[in-house]
Amino acid sequence: MEKFFEMMIQMNTFDLVQVIFWGLAGAISFYFSLGNARVWTSISIGFFLIFLSQAYGINPWAHYAKLTAFHYIVGTVAIMTITHGFLEYYVFCKTFEISGNKGIVYLSTVVVLALSGVFLIINPTPSPNTIRNIKMVENAIWVFLCVMNIEIVRKIYIAIKDSDISKGFIAFSIVFYCILLWRGSDLYLQIFQWDKDWQDIIAMMTEETTDIEEYVGRVQFSRDVTKYAGLLSGASVGGTFAYIYRLLK
Amino acid sequence: MFLLPKGSPLFENLAVSKLKLPDVLLKLSNGVFTGYASFVFQTGTVILVFESGKLVSSLLEEHNGKRLTGFESLAALAERMVTSGSGSMNVYKLSKDLTLCIHALLEGETLYKAQDLKLIDINSLLKKVKEDQMNGCLRIYTDEHSAMIFYKEGNPLGFFHDGSSEIETSSSESQKIAGLPGAKIDLFSTKGVEDIMGVNLLEVANIQKIWDTAVAIHQTEIEKTNKERFEREKKIESVKLAEFEERIKIIVGDAIGKVGKGIVDKELAENGGNSCLIDDAGSAKFLSGVERAAKLLISATNIRILMEKLTEALATAKSEF
Repeated sequence: MEKFFEMMIQMNTFDLVQVIFWGLAGAISFYFSLGNARVWTSISIGFFLIFLSQAYGINPWAHYAKLTAFHYIVGTVAIMTITHGFLEYYVFCKTFEISGNKGIVYLSTVVVLALSGVFLIINPTPSPNTIRNIKMVENAIWVFLCVMNIEIVRKIYIAIKDSDISKGFIAFSIVFYCILLWRGSDLYLQIFQWDKDWQDIIAMMTEETTDIEEYVGRVQFSRDVTKYAGLLSGASVGGTFAYIYRLLK
Repeated sequence: MFLLPKGSPLFENLAVSKLKLPDVLLKLSNGVFTGYASFVFQTGTVILVFESGKLVSSLLEEHNGKRLTGFESLAALAERMVTSGSGSMNVYKLSKDLTLCIHALLEGETLYKAQDLKLIDINSLLKKVKEDQMNGCLRIYTDEHSAMIFYKEGNPLGFFHDGSSEIETSSSESQKIAGLPGAKIDLFSTKGVEDIMGVNLLEVANIQKIWDTAVAIHQTEIEKTNKERFEREKKIESVKLAEFEERIKIIVGDAIGKVGKGIVDKELAENGGNSCLIDDAGSAKFLSGVERAAKLLISATNIRILMEKLTEALATAKSEF
């Protein structure tokens, strides 16, 4: 516990606030999943997993490379679970089919995470470069699925425009726009090797150079977008689930 | 209506709906009955003339004047007995002579029909009968009574009126009827008793088969009518069900939105169509399905209101159907 508080103190304030926001968002979304239909289970679990993926900052064992890598894999599983949930909701809007078991969603998520863990365990300890690659893949999948989810949410909204919950989907679209900016800007930095992880890698391990000095403006802008969009994403997720909970009361 | 004078009554006003023709004919045949049985229906009258248990003559006369004799009249009688809910049978005993005269009359020809007695020159008519040396029968009748005068070769043979079982010699009854208001006459020429064939229709006609055929046809008609009525009722019910389905869609649509219609269609399709709405188990499954879908779309309060409205509508529908 002492180590935990020590870590909290050492953390960047902004990152700490972000983790707390995601923690709240995760708690609200998980609570939302408990009393609701199976479709919401996937969505809620996915957003809760985002908190777990962001929590590496407060994870006292985060210096273990495999655990850090696991955090990023959890993030990937999170957006896939969220997308699966929205796809199910879209199918429901078109076919009105609701089937399946909540327990299967929980179980499947746990199994996928467990298999991811096994994957990391049986493979060599990831280097900082490997961890960065995993993070880059995570960001790419996030960006792609966010764009897809924005479109799905739009279609869902059109289909159920006159029902109580439709406004909740407007809120979800705001969430995905925020997440798109957050992950998109981070991916942008990674692609052009202007991200902090790469800067640390080239500083410590390779003799490669970087052209970051030439693009300070856009790098700083992207970093700011990543920072604030990440914060906004966490806040909007918590707010959205609270709003939907009120709509469905 | 062909009204014969009543002979000595054996049975009167027996409800035909309770009788079977083969049984009636068998009883009269085995009883060596001589006389006639009349079956009175709303559309006409059937006269069966028996002589010593032999069915010697059968005549159907409808109100429109249509006449059938022989097998055709028996088949028509069977058909009327089976299908008619009303109808009465009377059996009158007559003497053999009178029976044969009636038989001859039924086989004969109508010369004058329903002539108003006031308008006819009865004396000229009788003179003609004598001059032509006719074999015939003069029937004098009102709606309730009739009397007959039989002639052989232009000479009166005798009288037959209500209550007689034999050919009478007194004309008083005939004169009384002639004096009643609205009295009419018919004049029939008849074949000589010696000329008419004494065929026993019971031996040449398969009465049981005629009866069974009439029963079968009637049964088929009933089944056809029932089927038509069932289909008509089914059609009415299906129209009513369709209207009810629309009402349900409106209720769900008002609560959930335009997707409500689709949800109702889907739940009805999964539960065997709109007939599930009037079935306890089906309607429970339908409600459960709608509620499950509604949970993804509207608030708990609105779901409760929706379920209440649907339950009320379904209860009303069940009482209507």
